[in-house]
Parts: sequence; C-alpha cells; structure tokens
Amino acid sequence: MNLASLAARNVLRNKLRTVLTVLGVAVAILAFVLLRTVIWSWTVSAEYAAKDRVATRHKVTFINPLPVRYKTQIEQIPGVTHVTWANWFGAKHPTRESDFFQSIAVDPPSFLAVYDEIILPQAQREKWLSNRQGALVGESLAKQFGWKVGDRITLAGTIYPGDWQFDVDAIYTVKRSSMDKASLMFHWDYLNDSIGPRRKDEAGWFISRVKNAGDAVNTAKRIDALFDDQDAQTLSMDEHAMNASFLGMFSAVLTAIDLVSIVILVIMMLILGNTIAMGVRERTNEYGMLRALGFLPKHIASFVLLEAMVVGLAGGCFGLLLSYPVVEQGLGRFLEENMGSMFPYFHVDPPIAGLALALSIALGLVAAIVPAYQASKLNVVDSLRRVG
Amino acid sequence: MTPASSVAEAASNTQDLGSKALVIEVKGLSKTYFRGKEKLEVLRDLSLTAHEGEFIALMGPSGSGKTTLLNIIAGLDRPSSGSVRVAGADLAGMSDSALAGFRAANVGFIFQTYNLLPVLTARENVELPLLLTSLGSAERRRRAETALKVVGLSERMDHYPRQLSGGQEQRVTIARAIVTDPKLIVADEPTGDLDRDSADEILSLLRKLQTEFKKTIIMVTHDPAAAESAGTVHHLDKGKFK
Repeated sequence: MNLASLAARNVLRNKLRTVLTVLGVAVAILAFVLLRTVIWSWTVSAEYAAKDRVATRHKVTFINPLPVRYKTQIEQIPGVTHVTWANWFGAKHPTRESDFFQSIAVDPPSFLAVYDEIILPQAQREKWLSNRQGALVGESLAKQFGWKVGDRITLAGTIYPGDWQFDVDAIYTVKRSSMDKASLMFHWDYLNDSIGPRRKDEAGWFISRVKNAGDAVNTAKRIDALFDDQDAQTLSMDEHAMNASFLGMFSAVLTAIDLVSIVILVIMMLILGNTIAMGVRERTNEYGMLRALGFLPKHIASFVLLEAMVVGLAGGCFGLLLSYPVVEQGLGRFLEENMGSMFPYFHVDPPIAGLALALSIALGLVAAIVPAYQASKLNVVDSLRRVG
Repeated sequence: MTPASSVAEAASNTQDLGSKALVIEVKGLSKTYFRGKEKLEVLRDLSLTAHEGEFIALMGPSGSGKTTLLNIIAGLDRPSSGSVRVAGADLAGMSDSALAGFRAANVGFIFQTYNLLPVLTARENVELPLLLTSLGSAERRRRAETALKVVGLSERMDHYPRQLSGGQEQRVTIARAIVTDPKLIVADEPTGDLDRDSADEILSLLRKLQTEFKKTIIMVTHDPAAAESAGTVHHLDKGKFK
C-alpha cells in the first residue's frame, strides 16, 4: 500500500456513483472523439494533399473556367512532368438526389499520370481509357450506389443539364490518403463534345505534377506569371493550399463543431468536479483523522487529485474503447459509404485518441482543484467533530 | 487481567513517577473561542503534568473543556495562552507542519468512532501512519502485524472494518495508535460506542499499553468505570479542574 494506491482505492468507495461518473466521462469522451473525427475527416484531404502537385484555377473564382489550351503552355515550364485538367460536373443520382458525390470530367491518360495513388486493375484501366462514355468510380461510391463494373448508369447533370449515360468501366481504390474513394471521373472529351460551342474547350482547373516537391511554390508562381497578360489570369498554389482554401468556405461549421466538442469537455469536467466535491464532503471526518495522524494538507490534496485523475483516466479509457467500434465500424462505415466525398476517411486518428485520453486526465485534475484545496484547508478539530 | 487488578497495578505504577521522564507539562493554559462577539472561555489557567507510563482520565460534563484540553495536548489545537510541552517539544511555538510531524512521531490517537478507512483492511489501516515514515513496505507490514498481534487481532488482519465488531474496530484503532511507538496516546471517549464487555476489553488493552509498553495515556471519558482504570482522574468543570 502507498499513498497513490490509497487514493485509487477510494475511487470504489461509492461504486454506483463512481460507475455513473465514469460512464458520464466515457460518453463525453466518445462525443469528443466523434466530433473531432468529423473535423479531422473533413480536413484530412487537405492535410494529406500531395506535395508535388500544383493546382491552377481562374484568378477570380473557382467558378470561372480557363481555356484548355493553357495545358500546353504549363507543360513547357521546367520541372513540370505532367499536366491534367478537369471540369466540375455536378452529377446527381436520379433517384437519390440528396446523396452528394463528386463527379468530374477529366482527361484520363494525364489524370492517371498525375494521380498515381489511384489503383485499378490493368484490364479496367485499359477499358476506361478506350471508352469515351466510360466512368472510373471510387470503391466507396460504387458500394454506396451498388454499382459494379459493366453497369450502365444514368446520372442527372446540374451544371450541364440533361441525362448523361456512363459505363462503369473501372472501380478504383487508393494507396495514399491524398485522394478520396468516393468520386466519379469520366472523359472530358465526352463532355466537351456534348455541349454547345459557348462552353467548349474549357477547363475548370489544371493540376500539374512537378519533379521536386520543393519546387511546387516556385512552379505555381511561374504558371501565374505565364498568364499574367491574358484575359483569363490564373491563381496557382500547391494542392494543400488549394484544398485548404476550399475548406475555408466551411470554416464556420468546423469552428462550431470545434466549440461543441470543447463545451462537452467542460460539462464533463463539471460532472466530475461535482462527484469529487460530494466525496470530499462525505469524507471530511476521515481527512480530519488523517491530518491528526500527521498527514499534511498536500497529502490530502494529493488524495483528492489522484482520485479525480483515476476517475478521469477510467472514463477516458472506457470512452476510447467505445469510440473505436462506434467510429470505425458503425458511424464511420456509414459515413464513408454514404457521404464518402465529405468524409473519405472516417477513422479514429491516433493523435485524437491520445488527446482525448490526456484531456480526460487533465480535466479530471482541473475539476478536482477546488475540492482538493478545500479538503486540504479543513480544520483538523472541526473535521473530527463532524461525526459522532 | 481483571479491571480491579489492573487498577491496583496502575496505582503502583504511579508511585515512582519522580524517576520517570515528564511527557506532558501544561502550565497556565487558557483557551478562548469567539462566537460572533461573544467570548467563550473554554479552558482557564490549567496546569497539568504526566510522566512516562502514567494513565490520566479527564472527566466532566459536556462543554467542560475535556476534549479541547486533549486536542491541545495532542497538538491538534493551539492554546490562547500558557505553555504546553509534550515529549520535550514546546507545542505553542510550532508551525502547522511541525505540529503534524510532532503528532506523527509522538502521538497515537484513539477516537470514539474509530475512524478507520473502510477501503482498507485492518492491517492496512494500522499501516497508515507508517506511510509517513521512510520505512519500506515489508517493514511497514511487519510492524502493522506486530501491533495487531499486541491487540489480539492476528486472525483478523485481512478483514475490512465492516467485517469487524465495534470492539474489534476499536482494537484496530489502538493498534494504529501504537504502531509508530509514540510516547503519548490520547483517547477521546474510546469506550463511548461499546457495550460493557467490549469496553472492558479496550480498557484492559490501554492498561497493558501503560504497564507493559510504558505509554503515557490521557483519556477523555464520561464513564466512571473507564475512569477507574486510570491512575489519575482529573475532573473538569467550566474549563477548570475541580
């Protein structure tokens, strides 16, 4: 027996209260992990962006297109190895309109060269490259809509109105987290040949791959300088910055989620503080006895703080144990399958798990500061007089 | 040992006090409390001495100042005036932390309500004061077991307080009081919550501590039978010895 084990054993004095408190902390930690994972999953595409890719868009806004002929000029810049371009298509499933997914018209050969993290069987690759109406579908999206290779699908165009038919030629997965698994890509030629002359030969954006990741920023400057005297000027940045600027549009939502996760922890701290304060009040006489035996105020404070830490740690561990099945198997699987374009990787990030555990201990300690101070300042004679 | 024989033995132990060390020396002790603007004189100019191996009982009606005097001698409370020397230490001049150290080294406490920690076994409760020493866990355990043997609870070492009778709980408290081998044992109504037989067992144990282990004991009690066990009985009334 030592001072720490004595404090730890006090935790089980009132088993029901301790169990309920640990459950309360566990639920708070589960909610914290869940909300933090939402933020992490939402921003992960920006965090995992390839460092050797440069995105180029119209200088004014995402919405304004660029001439597709820029591709040839960008390719001439030293250090640029591949260039591809794409148009946002904005397709919707005809019967599941609320299920948002990313659909993009791309130049297949250059697209696969730039996005080398995409993995698909060779036969499917060749089929997609050769079929103008072919679609490359991410495995999460295919699962979400039940699509299989060989299916003919019809999607409703929003930016380019009408019913568009595609052949599911290939289903891809990825070897790095810099690309999601919930997008649909199809031939830019198919789109370009199907629309009126006013919107022909336009690219929504260009993506260039550079030889050295360290040259990405300079390459972006060179690209912009190249078109500085053109009607359609460009804004280039590395892929991480581009994704981050896109996410910036949702910053208010992310901040709100962030705040809610903090509020949950504050509530957890108050619950824990209340439990600890009740325990201290009930044990006034015992603290008086310990002081009589020669224990110092710092010992009494340590007992209270350690007890709170143990409850916080137990709640944190239990909350994390709960969060893995809930996040990884339950909600995570659902979100990846049904909202894969927004939450491509919905898993418990180890740093989030570590943060949750550390916070459960730290907040346990903070919650116990006032009760610990009060317990340490108890008058010995008054404490002994309270019972009997 | 019967109560009568132990009283005789206790009396014999008080006969040669002059050759024994002075453990308690109280001179001109007063204690005043303020309840709002009202001044309450709880103890008034008290003087008291106790030598090694002396057993003193403090009696008196409620509010007479018995427990206050006991608390001051034990280093739990401070006098308003006068001097208190216990085991050679001047308690009035000590800081709170020095008083805590003094209590840990020199005073064993026996409370009316036992004050055992319910989450600890009898042995662990007895071991509690030794956590403040530099002793290793094996030595702490050995000393706790020895103390429990002295009070006759070797068979109940691993029992929790809820598994013990009142008398057994008080014996654990006594073991806890002696485990650090203090010079002074203070007991506040040690038999107050016990039936007659259990009370006699506890008093017998206290006399054993006095006679065999030469402990100085000062006990507050309302029970005349308990007071008979002590070699000296002081009656307090309105803060003064009668």
